[in-house]
Amino acid sequence: MSAVKVEALEKDYGKVKALKGISFEIKEGEIFGLIGPNGAGKSTTLKILATLLTPTGGRAEVFGHDVVKDGDEVRKLISYLPEEAGAYKNLKGIEYLQFMAKLYAKTGKSYEGMLEVGVKLSGLESRLNDKVSTYSKGMTRKLLLARALMVEPKLAILDEPASGLDIINAYSIRQTIKQFAKEKGITFLVSSHNMLEVEFLCDRVALINEGVIVETGTPKELKEKYEAENLEEVFMSIVGGQQKVGVFG
Amino acid sequence: MSDFWIIVKKELKDLLRDKGLIFGIIVVPLLIYPALGQMMQIGFQQAQEETKIVLVNFDEGDYGSLLIKTLEAAPNVTVTTIEALNLDEALKKAQEEDYNMIVVISKDFSKAIESNQKAQVEIYGIVKGISGGMRESVSEGRVNAVLTVINDYLAKLKIQQSIEGNPDAILRPIDAKSYTVIKGRIVPVPPSLVANIITSQSISMPLVIFVMIIIVAQMSAGSMAMEKENKTLETLLTLPVKRITIVAGKMIGTATIGIIAAVAYMIGMRNYLGSMMSSSGEIGISLEDLGLIATPQGAILFVIIMFLAITFALSFAMLLAVFAEDTKSANTIVSAGIMPMVFPTFILMFADIETLPLAIKYILLALPFSHPILASRAMLMGQYSSMYVSVLYLGILSTVTLLITARFFTTEKLLTAKLRFRRKR
Repeated sequence: MSAVKVEALEKDYGKVKALKGISFEIKEGEIFGLIGPNGAGKSTTLKILATLLTPTGGRAEVFGHDVVKDGDEVRKLISYLPEEAGAYKNLKGIEYLQFMAKLYAKTGKSYEGMLEVGVKLSGLESRLNDKVSTYSKGMTRKLLLARALMVEPKLAILDEPASGLDIINAYSIRQTIKQFAKEKGITFLVSSHNMLEVEFLCDRVALINEGVIVETGTPKELKEKYEAENLEEVFMSIVGGQQKVGVFG
Repeated sequence: MSDFWIIVKKELKDLLRDKGLIFGIIVVPLLIYPALGQMMQIGFQQAQEETKIVLVNFDEGDYGSLLIKTLEAAPNVTVTTIEALNLDEALKKAQEEDYNMIVVISKDFSKAIESNQKAQVEIYGIVKGISGGMRESVSEGRVNAVLTVINDYLAKLKIQQSIEGNPDAILRPIDAKSYTVIKGRIVPVPPSLVANIITSQSISMPLVIFVMIIIVAQMSAGSMAMEKENKTLETLLTLPVKRITIVAGKMIGTATIGIIAAVAYMIGMRNYLGSMMSSSGEIGISLEDLGLIATPQGAILFVIIMFLAITFALSFAMLLAVFAEDTKSANTIVSAGIMPMVFPTFILMFADIETLPLAIKYILLALPFSHPILASRAMLMGQYSSMYVSVLYLGILSTVTLLITARFFTTEKLLTAKLRFRRKR
């Protein structure tokens, strides 16, 4: 069974067409990257899969469950990290992890085990006993990533996971994602506009631009097909000649 | 622990740790209002201070002396008789010695009384800037009380001298005794006094309900808006928890803090009003004396009605908060949505719903917040059938609102309503 199956997915915000009928599939245990410039439709796709938004057309399934009809079931299988996310400022870091672990513990996993993984993944050590309001942006991001991964979901949906992290922490989180996919069999759907990051991390990628998936494949296949040195060059050779591309960050 | 209680606990922890919030909604009302009350008390106490009278007696007869003796015998009154040729001289002396009243007995005071003519006494209150005249008002009252006693005494004396019979009966030929009939029982208390007692209740109840509803609604909308502002909402909505559980957990969490805040507000307000009331004197008759006691059945119905009204306020406020971008706009939207439902109920402070025009009566009955006010009276009067109707109406209304709110939480409107709201503006 596919971990994720997306067919002709469409999403309109009023007159703006954010997604124009995209389709892709993610296999179980795979790290799949959705890459493209700002405003390409990456976050919208992730939000639909996380049951936050309702598609205008097409369908999306997570482990066979329709994201619209079986929202409650889908939410039991996923863990979603939004691009811009915060934690409850008046809670201590450890209390935030405890709160989340308690809610996921009933899905068959052990509360203590989850918390132990979360504490380790956050790398915040004694600072976990401080209120979240005292954390820097990078520290908050690490706490949120730890929260998303400690629950060991069947599918982790991470929107720009390394956003706001320095080189060392970004490298460390990429290693963790790879390790979790390999050892725990977790499926990852990662979005990024940093194509080099995705190239290093993902088993397969889909290039998305203006609500349309323009290419899908492994980074190696795509580089060979377009005779490019990296995914950035692949992307530019596909869309660069046709239209003005948004700013990459 | 169930998901519901995990969310309630998180909500309580998050809110109780917000020092600004706790200070603003719990500490301030508990400190500020009693402090205000204390300040008023000091003002009243100063006003009750001794009345110091400078007395100028131009009269040479016995009645002038009688008035002076009676004034001297009055409590909290000090009389200093001076020899003055005119008012200016008396005024100068009074100001020098910090006296606050001047009483001038006219030259022919005794002669006028003896010849059955009106006798003249002039009373001057010396108002100084700071006291605002309150002390002089109290002092004037004391002098007038003495004059009333003397007037009465002299009138009776004169009647006794010239007419046979009971002077009191001649002075006031008709004696009226007033009774009130409440719940079919005759109570030997005038209706005006009963009205005073009931009015004090009917004014305080809408105020209490107003404060409670507004605080609870603001808290619940604020907590929802805070999720948006702090960017925790998206994560919350993707957790393996039913959306109705999230709504209910947030509602109970914020309602607990909201009710604590409302109680703190009311305790503070009660202290403030209490200190004002104690100085103005009490009627000395309670609702119990009038036979207006809530039975267990009435009390339970009232609690249910209050609970349902608060549930409605909470879910309606959360529904409104869907359209808010941050805590500031949540407060504005809630005020705009809830206030029009609360303000009209203030009519019930002064009017009986049965005597109002039919259209206004039904509008008020349609407003959920009228029902706790009406129920507070129905409970004392034992009119339980109207309370059952209120329970049914509020039960349906709050369930429907709660379901609509929960429904909104299952759609993307919670995340996108803000965008549409912006565009509309």
